Amino acid sequence: MYSWIWRHLPGSRAVKLLEALLLVAAVVTLLMLVVFPWLEPQLPFNDVTAG
Amino acid sequence: MSHVQSPVRGSPPSHRRGDPVRTTVRGLGELLLTAGLVVLLFVFYEAYVTDWTSAQKQHQATAKLDDTWRNGRGLVDRPVRGAGIAKMYIPAFGPDFVFTVLEGTDQDTLAAGPGHYQGTAKPGQLGNFGVAGHRVGKGSPFNSLDLLSSCDAIVVETADHWYVYRVLPLQGESDGWVAGKGTQPQCRGVAPLPGHYADVVGKTIVLPNQVDVIAPIPGQPGRAPVNRLITLTTCNPQFSARERLIVHGVLVAAYRKADGQRPVELTAGA
Repeated sequence: MYSWIWRHLPGSRAVKLLEALLLVAAVVTLLMLVVFPWLEPQLPFNDVTAG
Repeated sequence: MSHVQSPVRGSPPSHRRGDPVRTTVRGLGELLLTAGLVVLLFVFYEAYVTDWTSAQKQHQATAKLDDTWRNGRGLVDRPVRGAGIAKMYIPAFGPDFVFTVLEGTDQDTLAAGPGHYQGTAKPGQLGNFGVAGHRVGKGSPFNSLDLLSSCDAIVVETADHWYVYRVLPLQGESDGWVAGKGTQPQCRGVAPLPGHYADVVGKTIVLPNQVDVIAPIPGQPGRAPVNRLITLTTCNPQFSARERLIVHGVLVAAYRKADGQRPVELTAGA
């Protein structure tokens, strides 16, 4: 998977590295801002109320 | 030698493309590693990122409450869900421990700070002022609730009053209270409560469905209260929601607010 992505990134080695970092940053942002806030209420870790 | 004839047919392309088994196994491994990283990231999110966003919401709620108080609009009869209604200080957690308590206990409200169980008593009223708060993440207002001792102060500030509650005697402390811990200065006004309150102790751990801990008389729903209590609830154990940690306190003092004055319970740090 990762080698496939690496092969398909355009540009020189340095450019590829930059693109890869950007991709990682994009995925982390997506997780933090969209996926986790959606996921969290479905999980039972944080029920603090009685009833 | 024998190696001359061995790696001839089709082997270079198959090495470059990888055989299907190897590709599949590697892909699976990468997927599992990625899943592990995502879980770690989620833990980071729960423990830290929610703190930052909650701090922002808490700050906004506090600013709004301050504004309301400044403009002379006090504790309205039916505050809207999510609006700040009071500030809570627990000196045992440090002089900077203060949270704006909001009306309601839904997820959104609790993400901004401790929430008042709608329908339970208001601060200082006869009955039971019930407040829920997060233990881990989201500002963790009630992270250290398990560390509270009997007689520790829980001070609630409303538009026009300071209410000082103190944690009731803990399980096992009731016997010999009057001659024992009850003689300590910070325990003035705190004693095991009589009558229907006999089973109410400072700290308990209950199952999540035991709603009667926030009843006017904890554990005795439907009975008319004769005391002014506070009840704090959070999840227990830490990082889990299997049980609820409950702290009960009793009102020992109420002061009408005067300009700039803070109650001795806060200034003395007792």
